[in-house]
Amino acid sequence: MTGRGTPSRFLASVLRNGLGRYVCQLQRLSLHGGDGECDPLPSPRDYVEEKVVDFARYNPGIAVYVNPKDCQGPTVVAEYLNGAVREESVANQTAEDIAQLIGKLANQSGLEIVRIRKPFHTNHPSIQGQWHPFTNKPSGLGLQTLRRVHRPGFPPPE
Amino acid sequence: MASYSRAAQQWATFARSWFLIDGRMQPPGKIAALTVVRLEGRHKPVYHALSDCGDHVVIINTRHIAFSGNKWEQKVYSSHSGYPGGFKQLTAVQLHQKDPTAIVKQAIYGMLPKNLHRRTMMQRLHLFPEDVIPENIQKNLLEELPQPRQIPKRLDEYTQEEIDAFPRVWNPPQDYHMK
Repeated sequence: MTGRGTPSRFLASVLRNGLGRYVCQLQRLSLHGGDGECDPLPSPRDYVEEKVVDFARYNPGIAVYVNPKDCQGPTVVAEYLNGAVREESVANQTAEDIAQLIGKLANQSGLEIVRIRKPFHTNHPSIQGQWHPFTNKPSGLGLQTLRRVHRPGFPPPE
Repeated sequence: MASYSRAAQQWATFARSWFLIDGRMQPPGKIAALTVVRLEGRHKPVYHALSDCGDHVVIINTRHIAFSGNKWEQKVYSSHSGYPGGFKQLTAVQLHQKDPTAIVKQAIYGMLPKNLHRRTMMQRLHLFPEDVIPENIQKNLLEELPQPRQIPKRLDEYTQEEIDAFPRVWNPPQDYHMK
């Protein structure tokens, strides 16, 4: 990547994920904060009370941690198999919003979200092979056309 | 999957081919038009102006090229050495006697694009006044390109039977006096 412009990458999946068995790339999900017990505003506590157990049950591949300690603010931290860590703030969000956000994080591959250079990808760029100087040329090209020149290592012209 | 590897295939894609052109009885401009396409690499589907994908072209028999009309006498090749009084003008005949490859070289040089690649492409051009080629160049040759002009047959190349069998518009009488 050159220094100018925005970062970009080509369209790719992690190790052709989903071609055979799908492996969820989200390995760890941590909910921080959410002890606003008598808070009238919506908080992650609602999500923890209503939905987080179901989410953890339906996604046995994801380790879900709930940390009630109040720190900077309620956040969701998603850690992926490729080492990427995404932190999302869930302040003032309802349980449905947080469920939607966590569902999105669980479905992502962990690759950085940047501009995609081409919206298409193939593992086989060319079936018939790259062009080379002998493509669509008859074999024995030199023998057929170079009659007037005797080349060393070749039969003499008739 | 092909039997050769991807790397070898890519080397083949950008390999340089060597073409042979016989300049005998051919107009220099037509030879140049044929040659420039190969020198630039415009005959390749992988052509790009910046990718330096041109091929080599060997032109033999440049001494025996054919100009049409009165170009041998009338066509003038001008040059200037840069010094005062250094302006030289040679007709095609004079230039051809001085250097039998110069006319073809000048025609090709003039048809190439006027950029920094022009000298590089000219270095892949190999001109020979006769049909004698060094052995190291002969080894590289891949294909002879067809001549752009069909060589007309001279009268002395026909046999007497062919001349006799040629249909005549008018048969002179026996006592006709040929001037």
